[in-house]
Amino acid sequence: MSSNWITPSTRTELIEDLVSGVDRYNPSNVGILEDYLYHQIRSEEYDCLANLAILKLYQFNPDLYNPDVVINILIKSLTASPLPDFNLCISLLDERATNVNLDEPDPLPSLLPVLKGLHRLLYRCRFPAFWTTYRSNDLENLRDNYTVECIGFENSVREVVVRAVKAAFTQISTERLGSYLDINGIALETYVKTLGWTLNSSTGVIGIPPNPDNQIEATVVQEAITLPQLTRVISHAALKV
Amino acid sequence: MAQQRMALWAAEADLDEDVDLSLAIGNYGQNGHFEDAHIQQPQIDETAFVAMQQHMAQQAAFSQIPDVVKGFIVHFHQAVLDNNLAEITVAYESGWNKYTEKFYARTEWPEAEVIAPLVNDDPIFLILYRELYYRHVYSRLQPNVDDRFHSYENSCELFNYLLNSEGPVELQLPEQWLWDIIDEFIYQFQVFCTWRSKVKSKTDDELTMLAEGGPVSIVWSSYSVLNVLYSLIQKSRVNEYIVAQQEGKSQEEIAEIVGEYGQRPLYRMLGYFSIIGLLRVHVLLGDFTLALKVMDNVELNQKSPFTRVTACHVTTYYYVGFCYIMLRRYPDAIRTFVTVLNFIMRMRQYHTRSYQYDQISKTADRMYALFAVCNALSPSRLDDNIANISKERYGEQYAKMARGGEESLAAFEELFLYACPKFITANPPPYDDPAALANLISPPSPDSPTESAPAVTPTDPTHRHLGLFLADAEAQSPVPTLRSFLKLYTSLGAKKLANFLDADEEEMVQEMMVMKQVSRSVSRIAGSEKGGLLDGQTITTSDLNFVIDENMVHIAESTVGRRYAGWFIKNTERTQRIFDDLKSMPLPTPPKTITPVSAPLGQAQTTADAPKKGPRTGGQKVAWGGVKVA
Repeated sequence: MSSNWITPSTRTELIEDLVSGVDRYNPSNVGILEDYLYHQIRSEEYDCLANLAILKLYQFNPDLYNPDVVINILIKSLTASPLPDFNLCISLLDERATNVNLDEPDPLPSLLPVLKGLHRLLYRCRFPAFWTTYRSNDLENLRDNYTVECIGFENSVREVVVRAVKAAFTQISTERLGSYLDINGIALETYVKTLGWTLNSSTGVIGIPPNPDNQIEATVVQEAITLPQLTRVISHAALKV
Repeated sequence: MAQQRMALWAAEADLDEDVDLSLAIGNYGQNGHFEDAHIQQPQIDETAFVAMQQHMAQQAAFSQIPDVVKGFIVHFHQAVLDNNLAEITVAYESGWNKYTEKFYARTEWPEAEVIAPLVNDDPIFLILYRELYYRHVYSRLQPNVDDRFHSYENSCELFNYLLNSEGPVELQLPEQWLWDIIDEFIYQFQVFCTWRSKVKSKTDDELTMLAEGGPVSIVWSSYSVLNVLYSLIQKSRVNEYIVAQQEGKSQEEIAEIVGEYGQRPLYRMLGYFSIIGLLRVHVLLGDFTLALKVMDNVELNQKSPFTRVTACHVTTYYYVGFCYIMLRRYPDAIRTFVTVLNFIMRMRQYHTRSYQYDQISKTADRMYALFAVCNALSPSRLDDNIANISKERYGEQYAKMARGGEESLAAFEELFLYACPKFITANPPPYDDPAALANLISPPSPDSPTESAPAVTPTDPTHRHLGLFLADAEAQSPVPTLRSFLKLYTSLGAKKLANFLDADEEEMVQEMMVMKQVSRSVSRIAGSEKGGLLDGQTITTSDLNFVIDENMVHIAESTVGRRYAGWFIKNTERTQRIFDDLKSMPLPTPPKTITPVSAPLGQAQTTADAPKKGPRTGGQKVAWGGVKVA
């Protein structure tokens, strides 16, 4: 994981202490971490380890459980694909007995399969299907109550698309890219321009600049022998002398 | 009870001397508050009567103990009193096991109260004795609910003694035992959680006990277990010790840094084992990043003095490797397993007689299974030898997994379930809430008039993790087929490829992006041991690379040159060893039956060597077997 994933540059010292120290187990710190999550949602930041620390506290202290927070964490982690963040969050969601005494019905059980479905589509690069599902009537609840609050959610989905496309393509048709990004026309042109990709307006083909993943080359990997591998052979020979 | 909420996550462990760890922990996070008033004081004369009865029963039990066992216990006790590590080791590693086999293969050892007169009621020895007593119950017999509770209490007493005595204790114990203490503590925690989560098979008595709030509810709670481990780590300052070692500080400087506790091998080793214990507990609870994070200071290599306890070494690599699988870092997982599997193979000759050999070879077998899983998801040629053994054992499953498609999933599932850790749920089912509990046992049927949402079938943690893993495996299940087609071309139209696959072109192009995605992985840079286990960079994991130029797929394949040098090095080392062995052997006395001259050199050597070093023969056979395939 890149160092920015382990320690995002936007993480404050206070949060760093909570994430890396034993104080992360202290239930009274959950508020600080939850506030930090809402800060991430408002300012398009993301800190997976800090959010996992919230889920950890929920795991140990079922009383703290706040379904809205969990859903927001899952939404944030969705767009980290193909990194395993979404799975890591689900791993910490212990099965809880359906609480009959809750004042309001828990929204998580019904949204969890929806979010898992979205994750599945993103991880499998089924981008057009993702948008269709995401915009469907069935997901109105998720959109109106959650993703709308998460600033830049759709753009971060597009970033997932961009990561996948730029690794696999050198050129891609406008139509195809448009269906992946769920934008077209002028908006698409502008988006492509901000990426630094080139649009050939006569052919409608978009060129993607070379990067380590879309440059291919046939190579023969040769064996490299390092000195330590030979230590035993040499020291044995030396012993004899 | 006017006890302060203790900031135990800060785990300073400078508790009031007399605070019972088992009670101090878990004051937070639990609803139960305990009051002495709950505990009824029995009538005095009744107590006296019960005590007398107990005394008589104990005397009877005492007379049942065979004299050799009494002798053994006295001797064992003396060794502990003398802090005689060698004698303790003998008593621990062979004496205990010997008498277990002989007298207590199917029954408990005598209770601590019964043997107490033999050891002058030495409380410390009795705690250690109970540690062994309960471990025996757990491994050989079926622990009942009292055993589960009492073994926890005893562990707490032991840790209290170590952590909350005035200053570090003088006691010394063999490293192996120290590891076993931590290992067993976590094992018992794990089986308790598993037992607790099975609601249906509980007797009424057990249900009542589990429903009781207060002290009972913190027995084997996650917080209390973590608290013990963190306390041991902090008290011993083992993290600081490791860092100081890495920085090459002098003995004096290190002594200064680690303080009076950390200077003692007992605390230092317990501290280190607790780090590994934390790794394990976090994995069991499904927190794979935190598991690797606690290992931040530990360097994974074979040189550290902490690798002396093989069981610990093997456990470490197993859990680290498993974390990498759940982080989709298959190359790292492969490297982890290969390292330790080679280590186990090399060490095998020394371990056949160890009482832990069984456990180690079981873990090794699970790692071969996980290796097969990773190798199917991210083919590598890191170590042909390990790959061959893995294919020997799991060839059928491996073939299915590597072929991809729908059928591969059953094989992935089979090996995952066989080889994964025994996951646990952090919290008990709602034993204190009869309504919720009843709801759990028999969820309201969907057609009942209640307004409740469709009953979610509770899944155990293992199946939750399995589901996640299988979804990942499924996402890449079309890759092997795609790959087999791409291998045949250097460039190919997307439409044509889609036709071959009998697939929709757009679907297939999206599939290609998945293929690209899974041929990249975050990985620790090979050879570097610096940086935490979470660190890493994106690397390419596939020898087949491709790119899509609008609608044309271009393919390039990297080939690996044959690895002659590694082969020669391995065999040179082997030959040198054989040569040395031969030279150091006494000249053979004229044999009664002459070995056939036609036998190949290697085999003749093996036969000659066999009577002296039994287990070694096996090791060499495997090694030679590898040569043929390499």
